[in-house]
Amino acid sequence: MNFLIRAATKNHCRDIARMITELAVYEKMQDQVKISSGELERDGFCQNPFFQCLVAEVPQEQKSKDGFTVVGYALYFYTYSTWKGRSVYLEDLYVMPEFRENGIGKGLLSTVAKVGKENQCVRLQLAMRNWNTPARDFYAAKGAQDLTVSEGWHFLRFDGECLDNLAKEAPHD
Amino acid sequence: MANFILRTAEPKDVCDILRLIKELAKFEEMEEQVILTEKELLEDGFGDHPFYHCLVAEVPSDQRTSEGYTVIAFAMYYFTYDPWIGKLLYLEDFYVMEQFRGFGIGSQILKVLSETAVRTRCSSMHFIVAENNKKSIEFYKRRGAADLSYEEGWRLFAIDKERLMKMSAK
Repeated sequence: MNFLIRAATKNHCRDIARMITELAVYEKMQDQVKISSGELERDGFCQNPFFQCLVAEVPQEQKSKDGFTVVGYALYFYTYSTWKGRSVYLEDLYVMPEFRENGIGKGLLSTVAKVGKENQCVRLQLAMRNWNTPARDFYAAKGAQDLTVSEGWHFLRFDGECLDNLAKEAPHD
Repeated sequence: MANFILRTAEPKDVCDILRLIKELAKFEEMEEQVILTEKELLEDGFGDHPFYHCLVAEVPSDQRTSEGYTVIAFAMYYFTYDPWIGKLLYLEDFYVMEQFRGFGIGSQILKVLSETAVRTRCSSMHFIVAENNKKSIEFYKRRGAADLSYEEGWRLFAIDKERLMKMSAK
């Protein structure tokens, strides 16, 4: 199958938003998707973008049954390790089910790795659910280590009301 | 004691920030893993495109440590992105020197970070903590943090430089 991986442009945001929703459906969390293509355009294509994105495209004659030629994406951003410096964090990697098993996922991941390397990043991190066995197998084959298991790292979050409450108590000048 | 100020880190603070990073790494029994240098911290935090932001806590000169330090705590953070809800604030490191604990410095830092998160339109503040760090987990849970690894099954994965180079060469 012919496919091309390249940096997303503003025009891709509608397709990216569509696929974000598809991935959320797979993770059984579709009601949690609150942002639209408008926010993606604003946050990904401003002067200091909050994320970077790659898209995978197929030629017209190979378009999906619904007529889409943008069939996969990888959304990532730069993070920082106080031990090692610049890192890449892969937030989302998704290929539409009908286009899998053609090397597109691998192509996307390799391109993120290449971009990271060009920007002197020392590692790539990502998170996934413990039940997502296909994803775990995919990344394990590329050498990913589960740091939650091996080093006991847990993800924590402050959001909604408790974030607001904390913020209200901050000192004012 | 209780006099301290919280301020945004400046280029001159990189030496203190690296010192505190190493102290925290020592506490986590991982001191030899810190390979970052002052030069990298300077370039990466204070160049055209900062990879991180930093808050420091400073005490007056008369309360300096026995080695003469007045910068006694720091928090390093950056902005990340959740494709479902948008901008997030990610807290990478957060440390108060042992002799200055119990005075509310950590609490104040967390509040200032939360205010930054809200002001910059972030939906939440994320961070990781080692499961054997019970004290830190309690500190955060008391303030309303949710443990997503426990509640939602999230696991953190990493692919190191060597493997990245192999992948990108293909």
